[in-house]
Amino acid sequence: MLLTPYRVLDLTDQRGMLAGQILADLGADVICVEPPGGSSARAVGPFAGDDPGPDRSLYWWAYARNKRGITCNLDHSEGQHLIRQLAATADFVLESDTPGVMDARGLGYAALSAEHENLIYTSISAFGQTGPKVTYEATDLILMAAGGPLILSGGAGEAPVRVSVPQAWFHASGEAASAALIALYARRTIGRGQHVDISAQQSVAAASMSANLAASIGAVETARVAGGMAVGPFTGKLIWEAADGFISLTFLFGAGIGPFSRRLFEWMYDEGECAVEDRDLDWIGLGAEFISGQRPLSEWDRLLSVVGDFIRKRSRDELFTEAQARSLLIVPVTTVDELADSEQFEARDFWREHDMPAWPEPVRFPGPFVQLSANQLEYRRRAPNIGEHNAEVYAELGLDAEDLAHLQERGVI
Amino acid sequence: MTTAETSVLPSVPGVPSEGALAGVKVLDLMWVVAGPTATRAMADFGATVIRVESANRIETARGIGPFHNNEQGPDHSGLFGNMNINKLGLSLNLATAEARDVLLDLIKWCDVLSESFSPRAMRAWGMDYESLREIKPDLIMLSTCLFGQAGPLSRVAGFGTMGSAIGGYIALAGNPGEAPIGPYSAYTDYLSPRFSLPTIMAALDHRDRTGEGLYIDQAQAESSLHFMSAALLDYTINGRVPQLVGNADPDMAPHGCYRASGDDDWVAIAVRNDADWANLCSAMGMGELTCDDRFADLSARKANEDELNEIVGGWTADRGALEVEYMLQAFGVPAHAVSNSAASADDPQMLHRGHFIRMEHPVHGETAFEAAKGQMSETPPSYRSAAPSIGRDNDLVLREILGYDDERIAQLAIADALT
Repeated sequence: MLLTPYRVLDLTDQRGMLAGQILADLGADVICVEPPGGSSARAVGPFAGDDPGPDRSLYWWAYARNKRGITCNLDHSEGQHLIRQLAATADFVLESDTPGVMDARGLGYAALSAEHENLIYTSISAFGQTGPKVTYEATDLILMAAGGPLILSGGAGEAPVRVSVPQAWFHASGEAASAALIALYARRTIGRGQHVDISAQQSVAAASMSANLAASIGAVETARVAGGMAVGPFTGKLIWEAADGFISLTFLFGAGIGPFSRRLFEWMYDEGECAVEDRDLDWIGLGAEFISGQRPLSEWDRLLSVVGDFIRKRSRDELFTEAQARSLLIVPVTTVDELADSEQFEARDFWREHDMPAWPEPVRFPGPFVQLSANQLEYRRRAPNIGEHNAEVYAELGLDAEDLAHLQERGVI
Repeated sequence: MTTAETSVLPSVPGVPSEGALAGVKVLDLMWVVAGPTATRAMADFGATVIRVESANRIETARGIGPFHNNEQGPDHSGLFGNMNINKLGLSLNLATAEARDVLLDLIKWCDVLSESFSPRAMRAWGMDYESLREIKPDLIMLSTCLFGQAGPLSRVAGFGTMGSAIGGYIALAGNPGEAPIGPYSAYTDYLSPRFSLPTIMAALDHRDRTGEGLYIDQAQAESSLHFMSAALLDYTINGRVPQLVGNADPDMAPHGCYRASGDDDWVAIAVRNDADWANLCSAMGMGELTCDDRFADLSARKANEDELNEIVGGWTADRGALEVEYMLQAFGVPAHAVSNSAASADDPQMLHRGHFIRMEHPVHGETAFEAAKGQMSETPPSYRSAAPSIGRDNDLVLREILGYDDERIAQLAIADALT
């Protein structure tokens, strides 16, 4: 696999687990380190069978794949010593603790890089390692608010609304995986590792699609529109109600989208559901006609309602099938159950199964995030149980079963 | 915008000689957001990225705001500007055979070829990976599109807004009993670079060690599912399908965006546990609520969430969002103003991180863009040139990189290959 030669010491909790997961999927040997009682990520729901327990967290199952798991008490001086020894065997360290905590343990970048200058040490935190908000308390909602995407989603004048499956730490973790591998590439040139400092606030800013630049370039704030986008004085409607649920239809004029709108109206005309004059509008130049006043803005609202009536009479399947035949910008608003049952993912052999000790049947996971011509991503390990790989990993440090038993007695592992 | 911690940088296109990725050569045929996000990160860290465009089909991002001073125009899009700083701009009319010959020369030059056409386009030009590796055996090629290069939906072309719908994210945001709202715009476009960029970097490292190239087929819809893995497991194992719940959270209450006193002014508050709740009550000057049975613990607060939200919302309504943020954070309660672009530009933490940077721009005089997200202690990013106007760097690419002479360039112009 692509990253087979490399080792990652993954000290993250639920705030950074996806970073190590990406590296593990690409083939790195990722050792995740949990406190002796288990990672706090094991308390993150949902749980298998809705039955909470450290081996039943679906979050843990999803983001500890392909990692080996060991326990170590980072607040214990002997534990800190073990981590320093393991870090000396690693190319990467990943951590997501509150800024300052790793330094206080003697496990920060300064301490570990002094012993191992090739180490690439990546810190993931809410607001970065320094700055006026470094001590701020943060959750997913707080970060989406602080980074810019949240204000953009929701109804006009109504409360902004988030994606209910928390996203912010994943953005930061993805940023961390990328930056860590850029640092790996740099290592060959500069001959040493470095510290990578990732802020979740900055990472989630990517989800504002540059709307967060508006004030800085003299533009108006981007309006919040439920199920659509403000385009100058117009509302580009994106979410429409079909007979049996919702679809996304991108409907607007202009060089990019106008030709699709024209084809939609050709279909509507074929079905006898729009006037020939509407079909034959200048779908590319229509915007200019509205702006110049040549055509009243109320005409746009009428066109929206003509389309809305057409969509409402048809099922999502019918709309999606015809959209592919006619090259229209229509897709179903797909729910999680539909994703899981989708023919597309099945046809690409996307899903992967693991036997999980705490569940009677094989569990199906989202598969490789890319398909490769060689060195494919492999799902070679399920998420580990607490301390599952203590023996084999600590053996590398010359510790035998007796040593481990003593460490366990002293609360180190 | 406060500019105390930003400086105006000059705009000098060229081939960078420094940075983590100095010497890495990228031929970028991608557009809008998903692809250009990944290649911009590479350019920031010193890769030479040639962005190919055509005036015959204006890149969609050039038509998407925010626009400089609210004026539309191909060089006025803040989105395009932000996605494409540090890249060289080459215009090629790929409908002509002559332009495709130039493309082949650039493919021999590059380390990484990235494209986000619909799956048939590259094959139709004879530029699928199998053909290209014959002329460049160690080529790294990324193809990224909504559903990948194969499968029943592989021909569904579309924008990231559609990816957001068919990728499951629209159905995850909205208010109970209403139509789904979804996250802002092209959500899967923000997720797919989280996976394409690490793969490209891993492929480059692997190539340098082994001499082997790689073809990367990214289905953005598949990559994006990794941001909702636990929800997919919750369905396949527990049979649960996420419902529209506004900002409610199963493990936190109060939890939401509360109206503050300004215009479109909102503050996000998240109470994780009983200690946060007690601190919030103290901050609000309503210590008596900690003894109120209706809100005694999480299950009580969830059961009485509407009343709870009314109390908190009543308190925030008379205060500015920033004031609430500072007060609550001083009490250790997670809170933050829901930042718009003006608030982001003034945010002391974003300023501390140098998140917004200003640069000279040939059309606007000065522009702003976002810094690289990862801060690296030894190989910082550099900001060398504003996003290209269409064909801005044709001369640099054709003469200096490809070594074409006047005659060859004239022939290309006559063949309409450079528009």
